[in-house]
Amino acid sequence: MRRPTLTALIVVVGLVLLADYLIVNEALGQLAGVFVDAAILVAAGAALAAVTSLALRRANDLRHRRGDPVSALLVLGGMAAMLIAGLRPDATGPTDAAVGWLLTALLIPIGATLFGLLFITTLGAARRSIQFGGREALVLVGVAIVTLILLLPLDGGAGSWLADAAAWWLAVPIGAVFRGILIGVAILTAVVAARMLLGVGPSTDE
Amino acid sequence: MSDRRRLAARIAPLALLVLLGAAWVVPAVPGLELGGRGDDARGWATALDALPPEPIVLVGFDPDLGTYAEVRPTVRTLIADLLNRGSRLAFVSVTPEGRALLIAELDRLARAEANPTRVLDLGYLPGAEAALVSLAHELPVGEGTGSLARQLAAGGIGAVDAAVIIGGNDIGPRSWVEQVATRTDELPLLAVAPTILLPELQPYLESGQLVALLATPAAGAAFRDGADVGALERLLEIAPPGPLPILVGMIVAILVLAQAWVGQLTSAVRRMMARDQS
Repeated sequence: MRRPTLTALIVVVGLVLLADYLIVNEALGQLAGVFVDAAILVAAGAALAAVTSLALRRANDLRHRRGDPVSALLVLGGMAAMLIAGLRPDATGPTDAAVGWLLTALLIPIGATLFGLLFITTLGAARRSIQFGGREALVLVGVAIVTLILLLPLDGGAGSWLADAAAWWLAVPIGAVFRGILIGVAILTAVVAARMLLGVGPSTDE
Repeated sequence: MSDRRRLAARIAPLALLVLLGAAWVVPAVPGLELGGRGDDARGWATALDALPPEPIVLVGFDPDLGTYAEVRPTVRTLIADLLNRGSRLAFVSVTPEGRALLIAELDRLARAEANPTRVLDLGYLPGAEAALVSLAHELPVGEGTGSLARQLAAGGIGAVDAAVIIGGNDIGPRSWVEQVATRTDELPLLAVAPTILLPELQPYLESGQLVALLATPAAGAAFRDGADVGALERLLEIAPPGPLPILVGMIVAILVLAQAWVGQLTSAVRRMMARDQS
């Protein structure tokens, strides 16, 4: 059974934000500000709930001896370390030196290393996609090879020619594909938003 | 897979690391240049020159852990350049990763004794796009008491002379164009972003919605070469990437991909010819 409450709420909030976008009016701006602040609070609450849920899930995994106990311990230990560093008595929160050290010496290098490993795993994935992916994979990897060659950091006449070709390559064919995707996504988003505002199509609040 | 191939597959990543390490320590090699044509860097310099004396610059700091290494040397040079021009910088993040990286950069600025009266931390605003919308209405100055905080509290985003966006995968210059620029009067947006965002940002640069953009290692290197940081060299990256390790990594990638690509193409052609003959 359809419940119109959520749809009505979305319609009202959407129309107020849209009106604020188009009309310069202080009262309307303040009302839109209240909605935006509420959205920020909801987002903050959702983030907190997600982190709490992760901690509870990992603690349950440990208690019931499910999954990998080392990774669960690391997740819980990392959370505890950051909470103690930022919330202990006399701590200054996110700007505390201990929090800064945890971020600078641990979190950022570990994160960068994991993403650095993507160089190797992406190459492996590209090779496997060629072996099993057929014609599309051949085109995809072929374009990647051409792009890499054009971006080689060479000096002199050859380097200048490559730089010109790379600029054209990125701006025209690759740019055109990206723009097509972005325009498609924008149209789809507008259509979905309009359907929600008008209450057309399958209900989302059941 | 044969034992020899399995061993080669295990050794390959280690060999790559050794090769990249060796390329990193080799001094400058003639014939290689990372800076390229430098058009984007010139656009940046022109945009910075057009700012008023001692401008207030709002820095939207939302890079991500994965791509920050690519833009970090350019970001550090940019901050030094802006401070050397007498700019007053107000930093804000709307993503948790951006906030973590910003805390590290602010800590580095404090250790390098950057003038604290010219740097203001506006903190973290949750809510991503919604947070950007709220920035256009009110800046989160909080309990800041300096002259910069007072100016921003009184004038909001209208007191800002330009916004510099350090973008990442979650929130980048595109979100600022969509959510902030449309709600403010002629706020110049300048951006630094990883290469992955270049195709989606190029139209905004060409339409003038972004005044300047650095979105490739070459553009970043050209900007670093031309930046004037005066006595603030201590704020720069200690060892920015040279062209040789990048070239080595790219050649390895090209060879690995081309070997698989040519092999697959050859076998496809052979299969087609065999089918035709039968």
